[in-house]
Amino acid sequence: MASRPEVFDSGEWIDWCPGCGNFGIVTALRKALAELGLEPHQVVIVSGIGCSGKTPHFINAYGVHTLHGRAIPFATGIKLANPDLTVIVSGGDGDLLGIGAGHFVALGRRNLDIAVMIHDNQVYGLTKGQASPTLPYGVKTKALPKPNLQDPVNPLMLALASGYTFVARAFSMDVEHLKKIIMEAVKHPGAAVIDILQPCVTYNDVYTAQWYRERIYYLDREPGWDPVVRKEDERVEKLSKAMIKAMEWGERVPVGILYKDETRTTLEERIEKRVPSYRKAPPAKQRIEVQGRPIINRRYFEELFKRYLVEVED
Amino acid sequence: MQELDEIRFLIGGAQGTGLETAAQVLTTAYAAQGYRVYSFREYYSNIKGRHSYIGVRVNSGTQPAAPRASYHVIAAIDAESVFMHLDDAGKDTLFLYNADLESRKLSGLPAIEEETKKYIRETLAGSGYGDSLGEAIRYIKEVKGARPVPLSFNKVLSEFAESRGIKVFAARRYANTILIAAIALMTGLGPDKLRRGFERRFANRPRIVEDNMALAGIVAKELEQYKNMVPVRRPKRKPRRLIVLSGNDAVAMGKVVAGMRFQSYYPITPAQDESFMLENIENLETSQGQLGGVVVLQTEDEIAAITAAIGAALAGARAATATSGPGFDLMVEALGWAGINEVPVVITLYQRGGPSTGLPTRGQQADLLDALFASHGEFPRIMIASGDHEEAFRDAVLAFNLAERHQTPVIHVLDKFIANSIVTMEPPTPESLEIDRGALVENPDKDYKRFSLEHPVSPRVFLGTPGTVVWYTGDEHNEVGYISEDKVNRRLMYEKRMKKLEIAAREIPEEERATLYGDGGDFLLIGWGSVKGAAIEALKVLQDEQGLDGAYLHVRMMEPFPARYVSKIIEEYGVGRVIDVENNYTGQLARIVAMNIGHIVRKRVLKWTGRPIYVDELVHAVPRVLGGEKEVEVLEYGI
Repeated sequence: MASRPEVFDSGEWIDWCPGCGNFGIVTALRKALAELGLEPHQVVIVSGIGCSGKTPHFINAYGVHTLHGRAIPFATGIKLANPDLTVIVSGGDGDLLGIGAGHFVALGRRNLDIAVMIHDNQVYGLTKGQASPTLPYGVKTKALPKPNLQDPVNPLMLALASGYTFVARAFSMDVEHLKKIIMEAVKHPGAAVIDILQPCVTYNDVYTAQWYRERIYYLDREPGWDPVVRKEDERVEKLSKAMIKAMEWGERVPVGILYKDETRTTLEERIEKRVPSYRKAPPAKQRIEVQGRPIINRRYFEELFKRYLVEVED
Repeated sequence: MQELDEIRFLIGGAQGTGLETAAQVLTTAYAAQGYRVYSFREYYSNIKGRHSYIGVRVNSGTQPAAPRASYHVIAAIDAESVFMHLDDAGKDTLFLYNADLESRKLSGLPAIEEETKKYIRETLAGSGYGDSLGEAIRYIKEVKGARPVPLSFNKVLSEFAESRGIKVFAARRYANTILIAAIALMTGLGPDKLRRGFERRFANRPRIVEDNMALAGIVAKELEQYKNMVPVRRPKRKPRRLIVLSGNDAVAMGKVVAGMRFQSYYPITPAQDESFMLENIENLETSQGQLGGVVVLQTEDEIAAITAAIGAALAGARAATATSGPGFDLMVEALGWAGINEVPVVITLYQRGGPSTGLPTRGQQADLLDALFASHGEFPRIMIASGDHEEAFRDAVLAFNLAERHQTPVIHVLDKFIANSIVTMEPPTPESLEIDRGALVENPDKDYKRFSLEHPVSPRVFLGTPGTVVWYTGDEHNEVGYISEDKVNRRLMYEKRMKKLEIAAREIPEEERATLYGDGGDFLLIGWGSVKGAAIEALKVLQDEQGLDGAYLHVRMMEPFPARYVSKIIEEYGVGRVIDVENNYTGQLARIVAMNIGHIVRKRVLKWTGRPIYVDELVHAVPRVLGGEKEVEVLEYGI
């Protein structure tokens, strides 16, 4: 049953710059969690480092504020140990696509049921405005001494190539739309990613809220747009269409769901195939002792490790 | 022939030619007779083609735990193995080699490195011998007093191929069986007993067992004159059953018994076999059904391995990762995160030769200081170093108990010499072990605070526990887990964490953190890790052969360090009669001793060739160092 978004307000003072795009993300996230009918203890928000890293502190749910770039592998361990938890990663573009890019790729390959929100503002805010991996070549945001030397990585293309089964883009200033996308991402069984375009009011004077407002259009309002893969043989076609949309940037910038594959198995399902007890008794919920002694007694030990045992002849 | 208490043999050959299989077959066959077996393995960082060898000790009474420098039998599958083991051939060593290769020249063997060739050439030339295999055989006979055992592998394999109706080139794959058969014959392991070894190795493949037995029969006929030349005495005591396991296996078994249900890892030598083993038994299948399941995750790198394990530990699983030096170095930042967030995560660290890639398949004990001080800032950690397979098993359980009781990361340190050596062990009784999950809260009230300052160890909730929520952060934080830079909070939270180490030091008896073996008053050896096996045996040899009566102080816990106990023992002997024995250059344990108790142990026996310490070279070094001839004795036996 849906609750009120205030339930997910931790009450901590939010120390982001006034006007920061992150406010929209936190508001949308609280609303999405409430509308999904989740309770705070069922949710874990995992973040990396930087302005976006503080997100868990502002959400009344279990929060794990980790290391720079490492939110995804922390979240991977949490989710695999207790797959009943709703695990959401909240990280910056530098965090997820720069220092943590290897982990970003790995989550797509695993298709583990985690939703990733990329706070994409093209700059490193907390260290005062350096170029992030999504800032285009030649662009000079105001803190940069010279125009950017490096080409950007396209988060959507990388996500599609890595195997994410839910790939979307949203705009942090359209909270209602973002909320819906977050809800879809969380509901999607498998690895989901949302590239959230957000202005950095302090350091990014090129890609401003105004810049985005003039260019954004909504895919779900495009006639005939259907990003869902319902049968395996649709995968190549849908993936190709998603990639074309992912490369659209400039005069028009699409937001919405680019790709949603309902046919690929999740890592949890694959583990369950090998370890039948996995869902019922995942690592975090197994009984491992009886009155302070190992559940594996001598008899079980000898059965489990039979191939290491040698019966000695008389 | 007089029966021996122990027989030792070495088998050598190119990687990928079945040496490991040969060692497994023989080890199992001897274990099935109740013998205690130890085998160590030396190999290159290479899949196929370079020289590797396995040294095996089969004992009728006690469990050997270190290499000895003399062998009763050396069996060489190829020319390289003859040239590489000239030093290992001793008086009366039976040296089996392929007589078809007598004209082979050292210079024509690309698998042997130039530096090694130079050493071999000088060894041979020094006694007036040339560099053909025939000359090398004359050298080991005439100079070393060994007994060459020539055998035409071609002849044997042709006969075998014909008798079994297989092609000669297919028969070549069985060359390792020639070594097995020869050793079984010479040491008195009869065909029925040998068959058990093959049956075990090739379970459900009776055809292969029969092939092997047929070849063994042909070899036995050819080598009839060597039958029972080095027979081993019947075991003094026979346990009902024995486990045959590597150090990696011992740790994996300990982890399963401890209740570890999540392990993440990135492939690295010599840690990887542990995770493979865990994945093999992931289902915990018993006659009473599935006892649970272990999730083993191969990650994209070691940073993901440690952080995933930390995540799983936060969720409530007993979780660990296993790695070696290069991987551990990548984990270091996350280690600090586990420290400040008081996460019970276990890191199993198998040391190998460093720095950098170093000697990836060789051993060393040079990461003690690295592991003890790794990560910036200050936080408590517990560090256990196992000295043999039994300790590795028990310490793997202990690591989780201490991690959860004290809510700190625990580093369990081993080395390649333990990881890759295979021994026999009596099956443990897990019921005698404790599982201590530490302070937990299942039904938190609304005032619950994860980092409550009431006690240094504040009760944990697992992620997902109803009734509360908790925040973790790598930033300094307050009692509920929010970021806090307040100076008073900083002081108190810092003290809370650091005091846990004092509690651990109070709770864990010092006598369990270091153990004294022997009580001789002439000298004291001090060491850790795999030095244990060589040191304890060296004490006995020194007493028997030289009347020198010493003791060995084995340090098993580096943090919290058993300062009072180690201090007391060292003072009993006087620091001048204490000898530090380590497989590194700088004497890292001696440095930790100095740091903790102020005694500087200057007498040292050290080795950094990447090879294990042999009992014999330690026996040779001790009186030299003790007598003041030299302060530091450097060892280098073993190719």
